[in-house]
Amino acid sequence: MVLHRYTLFDTTESTMSIIRFNAVNKWFKDLHVLKDVNLSVAEGEVVVICGPSGSGKSTLIRTVNQLETIGSGEIWVNGQNVIDPKTDINTVRADVGFVFQHFNLYPHLTVLDNITLAPIQVRKQPRVEAEALAETLLAKVGLANKRDVFPSQLSGGQQQRVAIARGLAMQPKVMLFDEPTSALDPEMIGEVLKVMKDLAHTGITMMCVTHEMGFAREVADRVVFLDQGEVVEMATPAEFFSAPKSERAKQFLQQVLSPMH
Amino acid sequence: MRKILILSAALATAYMGSVQAEELTGTLQKVNESGIITIGHRESSIPFSYLDDKQKPVGYAMDLCNQVVAAVKKKLNKPSLVVKLVPVTSQTRTALMVNGTVDLECGSTTNSKERQKQVAFSDSYFVTSVRMLVRADSGIKSLDDLNGKPVVTTTGTTSDRYIKQNEQGHSIDVKNVYAKDHAESFLMVETGRAAAFVMDDVLLASLIANNKNPKDFAIVGPALSVEPYGIMMRKDDPQLKRLADETLSTLYKSGEVNKIYDKWFMKPIPPKNITINLPMSEKLKEAIKNPNDVGI
Amino acid sequence: MGHYQWNWAIVFEQVAGTKEYYYQWLITGLGWTVATALCAWVLALVLGSLVGTLRTVPNKWLASLATCYVELFRNIPLIVQLFLWFYVLPEVLPKSAGFWMKQDMPMPEFITAAIGLGLFTSARVAEQVRTGIMALSSGQKNAGLALGFTLPQAYRYVILPMAFRIVIPPMTSEFMNVFKNSAVALAIGVTELTFQMRQITGEYAPGNPIEVMTIVSVIYLILAFSVNRLMALIERRTQVPGYISGGGK
Ligand SMILES: Nc1ncnc2c1ncn2[C@@H]1O[C@H](COP(=O)(O)OP(=O)(O)OP(=O)(O)O)[C@@H](O)[C@H]1O
Ligand SMILES: [Mg+2]
Repeated sequence: MVLHRYTLFDTTESTMSIIRFNAVNKWFKDLHVLKDVNLSVAEGEVVVICGPSGSGKSTLIRTVNQLETIGSGEIWVNGQNVIDPKTDINTVRADVGFVFQHFNLYPHLTVLDNITLAPIQVRKQPRVEAEALAETLLAKVGLANKRDVFPSQLSGGQQQRVAIARGLAMQPKVMLFDEPTSALDPEMIGEVLKVMKDLAHTGITMMCVTHEMGFAREVADRVVFLDQGEVVEMATPAEFFSAPKSERAKQFLQQVLSPMH
Repeated sequence: MRKILILSAALATAYMGSVQAEELTGTLQKVNESGIITIGHRESSIPFSYLDDKQKPVGYAMDLCNQVVAAVKKKLNKPSLVVKLVPVTSQTRTALMVNGTVDLECGSTTNSKERQKQVAFSDSYFVTSVRMLVRADSGIKSLDDLNGKPVVTTTGTTSDRYIKQNEQGHSIDVKNVYAKDHAESFLMVETGRAAAFVMDDVLLASLIANNKNPKDFAIVGPALSVEPYGIMMRKDDPQLKRLADETLSTLYKSGEVNKIYDKWFMKPIPPKNITINLPMSEKLKEAIKNPNDVGI
Repeated sequence: MGHYQWNWAIVFEQVAGTKEYYYQWLITGLGWTVATALCAWVLALVLGSLVGTLRTVPNKWLASLATCYVELFRNIPLIVQLFLWFYVLPEVLPKSAGFWMKQDMPMPEFITAAIGLGLFTSARVAEQVRTGIMALSSGQKNAGLALGFTLPQAYRYVILPMAFRIVIPPMTSEFMNVFKNSAVALAIGVTELTFQMRQITGEYAPGNPIEVMTIVSVIYLILAFSVNRLMALIERRTQVPGYISGGGK
């Protein structure tokens, strides 16, 4: 599981990029939500995507594993063109973990079954193996004692940690997060962020939509600022937070970094 | 009609003294007090009691019943007695009679010992024989020919009993199947789902008469059972019963009944002007000669 | 006014002119009612789940096909459907097939009734299943797909287990309805409970219809109550601890 950590930032031409958007456009009817997006994520890289509400962050991250289709352009994941109808999207998805804002655990299954379902059904892993891995992961997210309870018996923070463990159980090459902490009560945000930080340090590739600027500062290799469907800025956290180039980014930062947040 | 009315009126006047003297009881008393007599009729029991094209109940039994009603009017000296018509079905007729909703049931109800536990009957005005309807080209002539074949019975009737009873005597094996009304039972034979439809001959005759190819069907075999029809009344109501029996007897003696019979069984009848074409059976002739209310 | 002569023992009387007793007829009737209703219910559950699921799939063609199925079987009165299967179908089929249906098909009334009632009920079950699926957030499905499940797998492991739990209460009434609706089977000659009631209260024992009708009504009530209890048991057994479903009682 331990991957080599790349520190290369300019990856637009890199063959090592694990995710690549080429001139991606997306419309919801007349609404142009992704405008000519070009973006590469290198293996092991942690990329934080931020931007105002409605700027297209969720849409963007959901196109990676085709939970959302696109209008034009190309998206490559793990060397496979996910837009190509010949690509088996399920194998692509199996290698890409996704953590949702609202956890989306399966309410009728115990924590353990939530985690082992996909490894057993999709990866055809033997149950014993899947359960052993699940227990390891549960221990990692600090929920070893919750394996037999149902999601509805957990707090939001606990549910989100289970959701992360569920994604990791497929041993993915990439983890995608869509505002994993924004549905949580403030006192639970920390525990989830901690798990995510630990994860970032394992060297897994992460693409993460979040407003947690502290998290971005601490673990992101790059910050992508999206506004009205356009990639407006792409920079290291240091650059982005200290010297945003665009007026829009400045405004945005002023809002999220104000004492209110 | 007018003649009878005048005659009856004369008779009524003549008997006035004795009528007034007699204390009214039962239904007549109730009718006298309310000024209403209620007739239960069927909606599609052709040609006994059914609705014509104007939704008016007509038929052989209705004609006879109307004579009884006329007699009631005379007896009560109430020419303007209100006659209420209430439709009944084979399922509801007994209950509606017993609970007082209808006073006379004029349909095609078998006078059975079983029913006599709850209600009473006038002298029989019709006798039906249970026989079987088959396709003319089927070659079926008797019960023995039914071995191994499906025979249809209409739900709520007892035809299957005659089959079961006769099965034993004839050592044949018949498959009883059921349809929800006579039209469907007939359809079962017409489409070949059943080999025979066992039912009262009059019903079979009218079903054939109504088909577009009456020649395709035949009524065959012996009478599996004979059933008398009577006007149904409440039990223990001797005054009304006597009045009804006397009215029928008068019609029987005068031969008027033959005209009424011909009108409904031998001539085109509404609503479709079809002729049932069922000559009066020996059994009915006998019942007219010797009026009786013996049930089966 | 004459009084109705109550006679509850009527059902223990022998049928005049036969070796049978009325209660035996009622038991036979009950047997056919249960057999017809249960066979129809199994068919309805299988087909209804399939069609209800298909109505929610992304494939427009399949979804509208499923919609047509539902509209067809739900909107034609049951009795008309039974008539079509029983009387009309054999006449429009090729001669030999129609002949087979009329003459050689085993238990034609029962099989026609079970299938006809099953198809009718399946349309209603399909609607319930669809409603259950729609009641789930799309997040459930997406969470499945995101882990690499195929769409059928997502339905099998994620969507349907929850959807079925949600629709247990409305399914209970459909299950109860199937027993009630099985009475329509008498129209094509299935000798089920209501048939036997009509048979007894018709020409056979016209004297005491109210008793027989009452007894039959009580049998139907007991059937409905049993179904209700069975479904309540299933609901309890499948209940997810701590999960508050919308359709509580
Ligand atoms: N299924 C949809 N149909 C139509 N419009 C949609 C749909 N999903 C999103 N949109 C619109 O697309 C735009 C981008 O939405 P998206 O959810 O990607 O924004 P976001 O950046 O994630 O916002 P937030 O921070 O509020 O989550 C918004 O204007 C949104 O209203
Ligand atoms: Mg979003």
